[in-house]
Amino acid sequence: MTKKVFEGIKVAEFSWVVVGPSTSRYLADHGATVVKIESHKRLDTNRINGPFVNSTPTPDGSMFFGKHNPNKYSVSIDLRNPQGKEIAWKLIKWADIVTESFSPGTMEKLGLGYEEVKKVRPDVIYLSSSMQGRGGPHSSYAGYGQNAVNFCGLTEVSGWSDRLPSPPYGACSDYISCRFAAFAILAALVHRRRTGKGQYIDQSQFESTIQFMAPPIMDYQVNNRIMTRNGNRLPIAAPHGAFKCRGNDRWVAISVMDETQWKKFCQIIGSPELANNDKFATLTERKKNEDELEKIVTGWTLRHKTEDIEQLLQNEGIPANVVEKPSDIYNDPQIAHRKYFTPLHHPFMGNQKFEAQACFILSKTPRLLDKPSPCIGEHNEYVFKEFLKMTDDEIAEHIIDGSITTEFTEKIISTF
Amino acid sequence: MTEKQDDGLALSHLRVLDLTEDGCMLGGKLLADMGADVIKIEPPGGSASRIPPYYKDEVMPEKSLFWFSYNTNKRGITLNLREKEGQDIFKKLAASADIILESLGLGFLDSMKLGYQDICKVNPDIIYASITPFGQSGPKAHYIGSDLTAVASSGFLNACGDPDRAPIWIGFPQSSQYSGCEAAIGAMTAYWYRLNTGEGQFVDVSMQEANMSANMNTLQMWDVNKVEFNRVGAFSYVAATGVKQPIYFKCKDGFVMILALGGNPPYVPSSTNLVKWMDEEGMAPDWLKNLNWEVDYNAAILKQALADKVGKAIEAFTLTKTKEELYNIGSFERQILIASVSTTQDITEDIQLAARNFWTVINHPELSEDIPYCGQFAPMTESPVQFKIRAPLIGEHNREILKTLGLSEEKITKLQQKGII
Repeated sequence: MTKKVFEGIKVAEFSWVVVGPSTSRYLADHGATVVKIESHKRLDTNRINGPFVNSTPTPDGSMFFGKHNPNKYSVSIDLRNPQGKEIAWKLIKWADIVTESFSPGTMEKLGLGYEEVKKVRPDVIYLSSSMQGRGGPHSSYAGYGQNAVNFCGLTEVSGWSDRLPSPPYGACSDYISCRFAAFAILAALVHRRRTGKGQYIDQSQFESTIQFMAPPIMDYQVNNRIMTRNGNRLPIAAPHGAFKCRGNDRWVAISVMDETQWKKFCQIIGSPELANNDKFATLTERKKNEDELEKIVTGWTLRHKTEDIEQLLQNEGIPANVVEKPSDIYNDPQIAHRKYFTPLHHPFMGNQKFEAQACFILSKTPRLLDKPSPCIGEHNEYVFKEFLKMTDDEIAEHIIDGSITTEFTEKIISTF
Repeated sequence: MTEKQDDGLALSHLRVLDLTEDGCMLGGKLLADMGADVIKIEPPGGSASRIPPYYKDEVMPEKSLFWFSYNTNKRGITLNLREKEGQDIFKKLAASADIILESLGLGFLDSMKLGYQDICKVNPDIIYASITPFGQSGPKAHYIGSDLTAVASSGFLNACGDPDRAPIWIGFPQSSQYSGCEAAIGAMTAYWYRLNTGEGQFVDVSMQEANMSANMNTLQMWDVNKVEFNRVGAFSYVAATGVKQPIYFKCKDGFVMILALGGNPPYVPSSTNLVKWMDEEGMAPDWLKNLNWEVDYNAAILKQALADKVGKAIEAFTLTKTKEELYNIGSFERQILIASVSTTQDITEDIQLAARNFWTVINHPELSEDIPYCGQFAPMTESPVQFKIRAPLIGEHNREILKTLGLSEEKITKLQQKGII
């Protein structure tokens, strides 16, 4: 067996919901040991949101939680209980990396903030990830990615020019932020290896996410132009969009990126004369007459199946793809080929497919999912004994005094 | 090539050759911002990624703000990789590089004899990251892609947009940026392995996959419960009942999102606080004041008619206020889950970003101007990003870099005349 990349790297994950857990996946999927610190008294939001197996809301039955947490261990301790805090400290001393994503100030109030941790572990890499970062008037802003996509400017530029914005689904700011956080942690690991020094990473998801909007922001700051929404159009290409096909809500994405592709496209749709038509002969003209152009394209796509169009255009070197629905994704031979999903047996949910987080395959040390997402507290005994070298008696005491949590106190009602 | 000077940044000991285009250039920027010596390689005449927007709308490759954004801290050379002499120079550079990043399309560099296997012959420990639409192998590997088709192939396009029109993307292309980040993370992962074993390896990035995690839970909805997610536009969708809860509201000068939901904390207290605020301004009807957010507005039993009625009442209130009032007072004084639908102007003027000194300026001597840039992606105490140089001009460092390969002035001039550089 090849050695795993991050074998021996230990992460104590106090963070929850999406950003922190997705960040540590880059390490976990390449061999790091990640321990989630959870509590029955305050469940990870992902555990109370679906989809749930058998549509039955229960903390160990959410594949929303499942998506973000395979390859990890879970312990359940009460951080507000002094004896629980004792265990937290043991985990911090054990770890190379500590992550948390509570509202700013929460870890500090618990006495587990970076300044305290640094005293004991000066070489620790400590990631705090919050909506708007430490310091400043909006530091206390609490919310989810669903909020952040809006103030990060992604919503304003999504949708149709004649309508209210169509926000990007879900919480893509979280999935942007986790990339920056993972990269920062990797840089910090290298830095520590070179200098022996740990450090603090103060991620504002706001600041991370707007990196993905950098050119339009600069366009405002330099040219005073405010970017707004314009469907699927792109200034440097036409036709460029999602077009309706035969069937029920079936669509194909087409990007004609240059003049060679445009001439081929006209032939494929059976209208070679369009390439010479004054209204469409050049990109400038096609942009001017884009409404009409899109009607012509739709006139053709409506007569065909989306898969057939993808084939026809790809055969001629024109970017095109089925607008894949979730059911298409699970039948996509490319996704299967790269083993993007890994089937694993979960003690409560049974056989489930777990999603990769790393979207790259390393030739010598490929990503590997070998543990399903944990049930809450599933690894209490294993982690406390194997990693923290606690004795049976010590563990028993913590269970008796309630600092190792074992029972749910929250009522679970799924919000989605 | 001479050894790089160590300036204390996290990656200042690394040399990177960057052959990426589009938003994929963000990957090289991450490495450069952390201190790596990243050499951006363009074809003679300049990269195809010198695209709009342009500085003061002057349509010139040297004034592409898109280019500026993704190439800070990099040096730049031009090189014609289709010619033997260009290929030889690339190999010489590769011999002393740690990482190569590229997004030139499946097989292109192989056909130029500059693929991973070729480079391994001159530098067996190289880390070589390729970004392609679908990865290096598999039934769709030969497909060509665009940012939009990548979003379509990931399932994320399907999740966004109004139900009565086409699915829509985020108006500023994101897939290539995700992919660039993945290449950088992949390269760093491979680098950690090299630190431990001395071995390099190939990093195979798929743009289809890079956009997939953003689906949040829609894929699992299908896989676990066979619920096909249908796009709902500006609403919160309850998959189990099909009810669409309004969460976007018009205000005086734009839009805000308010998570006006019920059932669980933190929604219940937030929605209760909203109604209280409306009531204080005489805008909460009695039925709304009496609404039990935990029980009556619980997604499991909520009916569309009530959701619409609540939405209308809230919008009547938001229309009396500006985005800023709703965001500042709602979020920070009244603990309501609310967010402004910000424009690039709102972001520019945001007081939190200013308070954290987010913006940085980089001098552009040719434009006689300091231009503001997005600052650090995540502030780090020991190895923070340092913004040293603006993006390279076309061929700006040709001489500087080629000389370190031992090429004479005359030879460099000759290469220039032949169109190699």
